[in-house]
Amino acid sequence: MKAYAAGWLMQRITGAGLVLFLALHLWVQHMPNGFLATADEYNRIVAEFADRGPVYEEALASGHLREALDGEHVITYSKVAARLQNPWWKAINIMLLLFGVAHGLNGVHNVLRDYVHRGRLRLIVMGIASLGAVWVSVVGIRSLLAVGSGL
Amino acid sequence: MVFQNMQNSSDKPASLHDKPSLRTVFGVLRSYRMRSGMGAWVLHRLTGLMLVLYLPLHVAGLRSLQDPAAFEQYVTLYRSPLFKIAEAVLVGVVAFHALNGLRIMLQDFFFRSDRHKMLFGVVMVLTVLVTLVAGYQILSPYVAAFLFQ
Repeated sequence: MKAYAAGWLMQRITGAGLVLFLALHLWVQHMPNGFLATADEYNRIVAEFADRGPVYEEALASGHLREALDGEHVITYSKVAARLQNPWWKAINIMLLLFGVAHGLNGVHNVLRDYVHRGRLRLIVMGIASLGAVWVSVVGIRSLLAVGSGL
Repeated sequence: MVFQNMQNSSDKPASLHDKPSLRTVFGVLRSYRMRSGMGAWVLHRLTGLMLVLYLPLHVAGLRSLQDPAAFEQYVTLYRSPLFKIAEAVLVGVVAFHALNGLRIMLQDFFFRSDRHKMLFGVVMVLTVLVTLVAGYQILSPYVAAFLFQ
């Protein structure tokens, strides 16, 4: 298979996967439902924050932690950790991350091929993008694995 | 080289083999034939680049997942009104890129070219619908708090 065709096919496979994973991601993290805390639930959690030590106390005093508005649904650590206890959710989030990185990197490659015709410049930009992709993958997976494991 | 045209949608402009300069940029822009196919292609590129820039920011912020106190503060920062507006815009950007991407895949396989304009219309209508519905869910508590405080 030619490299162009492989890139074309990969962009479609990762793109189709991302449509599913991102729809799921937007649903559980950005829409009001049981994966987020309701305003009442969150305000009960905020009331507990004061007992968790000086870091929380300072954040509450400076407004870096604050109560929910009426009708607001809030992402909170305990809800995220509870969801990520499920290995399927962990796998889905890692897939979302890796598909996103692969799709983005291949997209950057396509843009460079269209606009940057100097070989060395293209190589440099692609090298920086590739390093960024590795960084995002490693840091993202490390964060996902750390949730709920006490790291 | 046959495959080079397959990788991009058919409505791609002619590439100019010049050095980067302001003149080249204007030359490229003039060479684009601004019809809906071209608009779809330009929007797909722009939204794609926005998402490529957003992903590292998002993952950098999520390093706070390793410390519950830091994560709660990260989430609280993203609950300020300007971030909420940005969140609604982000949903719109994702919705367009996803729906237009689906259109590209579908029309590669199933649709004759006289249907492409109609399909792009469907993409735009669905993008606006998704953005309005999600934007309402994201912003309504903030609008209510602003109006009735």
